Amino acid sequence: MERRGAATAVEVKASKELFKEIINAGLCSLCGGCSGSCPYLVSYKGRVILMDNCNLADGQCHEYCWRTYSDLDALNQKVFGVPYGESEMGVFKEVFLARSKDPDIRRRSQDGGTVTTLLTVALAEKMIDAVVETKLDADKRPHGFLARSKKEILECAGASYEPSPVLETLNHLPKDSTDKLGFVGVPCQVSCLRKMQLNPPRNRVNVDNVKLVIGLFCGWTLAQGFHEFMKEHFDLSNAIKFDVPHSPFHTYDVYTESGKQSVELEDIRSYINTACSYCFDMTAEFADISVGSGRTAFKGWNTVVVRNKTGAKLVEKAKAKGALETQAIPEESITNLKRASLGKKKRTLENLIALSGSKKDLGYLDVSQDFITRFLS
Amino acid sequence: MPDIDVNAPGTTVLWMGNEGIARGALEAGVGFASAYPGTPSSEILPAIAEVAKRMGIYAEWAVNEMVAMESATAASLAGIRSIAIMKQNGVNVVSDFLANLVMRGIGKGLVLICADDPGPHNSSNEQDTRPVAKWLDIPLLEPGDFQEAKDMTKWLFDLAEEINTICMLRTVGKIAHTRGNIKLGELPVVEHKAHFAASYGFRGAGPHAELHKKLAKAQEKFESSPFNLYIGPDKAELLIIACGASWLYSQEAVRLMNLQDKVGLLKMGTIYPLPEKFMEKHLKKASKVLFVEEVHPFVEQGVMELVGTLPPSGPHPVFYGKRSGHIPAYGDLDPSVVIKAINSIMGLNYQTRDAEYDKKVKALAQSYVTARSGTLCPGCPHKASHWAIHRALQLTGHEGFGTSDIGCYGGGGVGSFGITKTHFCMGGGIGVANGFGKLGRFGFDQPVVAFCGDSTFYHAAIPGLIDAVYNGSNVLMVIFDNSATSMTGFQPHPGTGRNAMGEPAATVSIEAVCKAIGAQVVICDPFELKKTTDTLVDMIENKTGVRVVIMDRECELIRARREEPPYRVYVDPEKCLGEDCGCDMFCNRVFLCTGLTWNRQTGKAEIDDVICAGCGVCVDVCPHGAIIKEPYTAKGKEKVAVKGKEKLKEVAAR
Repeated sequence: MERRGAATAVEVKASKELFKEIINAGLCSLCGGCSGSCPYLVSYKGRVILMDNCNLADGQCHEYCWRTYSDLDALNQKVFGVPYGESEMGVFKEVFLARSKDPDIRRRSQDGGTVTTLLTVALAEKMIDAVVETKLDADKRPHGFLARSKKEILECAGASYEPSPVLETLNHLPKDSTDKLGFVGVPCQVSCLRKMQLNPPRNRVNVDNVKLVIGLFCGWTLAQGFHEFMKEHFDLSNAIKFDVPHSPFHTYDVYTESGKQSVELEDIRSYINTACSYCFDMTAEFADISVGSGRTAFKGWNTVVVRNKTGAKLVEKAKAKGALETQAIPEESITNLKRASLGKKKRTLENLIALSGSKKDLGYLDVSQDFITRFLS
Repeated sequence: MPDIDVNAPGTTVLWMGNEGIARGALEAGVGFASAYPGTPSSEILPAIAEVAKRMGIYAEWAVNEMVAMESATAASLAGIRSIAIMKQNGVNVVSDFLANLVMRGIGKGLVLICADDPGPHNSSNEQDTRPVAKWLDIPLLEPGDFQEAKDMTKWLFDLAEEINTICMLRTVGKIAHTRGNIKLGELPVVEHKAHFAASYGFRGAGPHAELHKKLAKAQEKFESSPFNLYIGPDKAELLIIACGASWLYSQEAVRLMNLQDKVGLLKMGTIYPLPEKFMEKHLKKASKVLFVEEVHPFVEQGVMELVGTLPPSGPHPVFYGKRSGHIPAYGDLDPSVVIKAINSIMGLNYQTRDAEYDKKVKALAQSYVTARSGTLCPGCPHKASHWAIHRALQLTGHEGFGTSDIGCYGGGGVGSFGITKTHFCMGGGIGVANGFGKLGRFGFDQPVVAFCGDSTFYHAAIPGLIDAVYNGSNVLMVIFDNSATSMTGFQPHPGTGRNAMGEPAATVSIEAVCKAIGAQVVICDPFELKKTTDTLVDMIENKTGVRVVIMDRECELIRARREEPPYRVYVDPEKCLGEDCGCDMFCNRVFLCTGLTWNRQTGKAEIDDVICAGCGVCVDVCPHGAIIKEPYTAKGKEKVAVKGKEKLKEVAAR
């Protein structure tokens, strides 16, 4: 397969270029991969800030940024043992619907509570000692969090539509920590983590301590002043859940104990992070297991994509323990999921071509020309 | 500091110019001395204050130069010889009062001492105050050596009384701060008694005309003043006219070049108004004249004016100096500058020093100095405050910046992470920030932090703060309260609870003043980096209006004189990342405490045990926990140092 990557693979760049090429160019998805990796880069309220002038010519911040060149074949080989297939939604073993058997978890979760359940099982089975995931602060702003108990995992249940610099928490872990870690993230965060695992960063916690990666389906995040918009329009201190229900609804909902407040999706579209329009991955293709909603047809359930042995083993454990219940998903739903994922790839190709002005230059994305022709036709 | 009241007339002592000035005041029978600290004038008042009680006189640090001058004037009016002391910037502060004072008159002798800072070495600006004397019509003297520093000061009291106007002495750093021989005179025994005979006040018509008569009288006295003198041949190839420290440089240059029989030296001590007849006589000595003086071409212009009024009796001399480019009109001078000018004018080629040798000397001198940029003292609380302000401004975005005034904390970008973008005069931090804070109506949305010191707060910041409240400005003021006027030598101020003579004094609370003005006030300990940063972020993001954060932490140099350091600090070389990515010498390159050094062999940070003040702030700065602090004990000191060194050896061996 024809690939274009080799020339850019040897780039030696650092924070200056990170800001010029990625952050200031509107390509940063605010995953937190660069921040916390050194004293200079900090994530704060939806921005990545260079606190002081870093002199380095060769910086790990640029190297691990998911929006710089990545060798997709090597990544896929590392996680699944095969090259990147340029398929609709990545490598997977099976797709099904699942939900927690624990009504308390279901009540506190976004959909079926599958992620929370899988994590608590992984913790109980000593597959992991702690989880790096996203938690909302008192201001309902998402940030990375290291959950060490079932109680703490439950505190992280539920979705935020704002970007969370979750990888910053991983970067901040003590260098000599030997905790086995779980990781929960949206596709860009999962990909960045895998990029780190391919060539582990120096001077940080051993990234191979991450033994379980759960990816979350993601279409886009709301950034660029969205939090301030929310503060203005909703009573955030009492908010308990945020949701963007699937078709036929077109709203952004904020749930409080006393009910639901909504805004039209159209009214908040301008807050969608521009970087998300250059994202190629809706289903977290490099995760061990990916989880999304059951959509309108299966409300209260999760769509689960098991991608490798690690994912499959965990699901089996959860079922065997009676923590998770599953049901088959109709073929039509899988087709729809693939179509949605493909649609995102197609839009991203168009956006990347528009950005560079050439079909031959897709920026960070290393896919074959054959693939481009096939997808855009 | 010597006891300047030593009663030994005729003895020669080796004193600083500033001590000479203080002694001169004592020999004149001064009874009242007031000053505001300002380098290079700062030692004069303490020298007087030290002996004040014994001498039955009064000495004080005023809150600013204007107050000092006004207080001294009152004493003069009440029949007590008085002195006001300041640096060049202070004269600007006083100028409005002076401009009115000269139109009236004085009581007993009243003298203004101003120490200028050519260079500048210790100032935010380089300014020559001699033109101020001319502009305000104040008789002015400038000492050419240490003896004159004393003698001129003493004589100025007599002159002031005789012509009934304030008189001024201008000196420069290199006379004020260096030491030389001073032959002491008699100390009078004066019993000061204050009473105001209300004859003073507006004197009807023509006070300005009156002033000019006083100046004419001063000029007449200057014609025969021993402070002006000529050394050299009757007919010279070149006449050098010099004053102040330049007189010393000129003498040295002529001696080194062995030109004593060709070059005449005219030393001027009474420089405003210039003694015209005296000048006219000496101008005839040569057809070429070189003016050597520091900063402004003051005497140079005065002589040129004078020549323009002389009857035409042939061609006037060719003038060399600042106008011709032979002497720079900025920076301080030295003998080599004078030699260069003489070489050029007389077509000589005297080498001050062999170029090769010069290079070697410079290289050798540099090898003894640690390479680092300007920064603050180790353990300085301002460093921690700057750190917090810098981080808060970076986090909150919108291109926030600082506006500073004068103090250790100011320093432009130096040592303050480049936060301060404007750096003007005392009070200029809040003053300018207050202005920025009113620009919201024109779309201005950058956070502005006004930098202000504790002493500066009393000096000049209060009107700016009041204006900010009154005119609805949106401004954050940080007051770096380190309980001293540190930059000029730890002088007390109204917040410290003691006065210049070492007595207990009432304190004026900065917090209470700010609150009374109507500002929101928060007090922080800057050593609590995170808490302080969070407070500042909250102030910037969530609060509007006039906000004051007081950084409350004593100057480390004062604390260190009193007690042992709080912590013993060392670097764990296992944890230190060195130059590798993820740190990039963060502590040495960004935080820049002088107590942190870099071991080039191991590529790791180290603590310099001699310099480290043990504040422990860097422990919270290191992103990898490699800097470790332990409570200080005299015993522990050795143990920890050994531990650090052993670890280092291990790492180096690998």
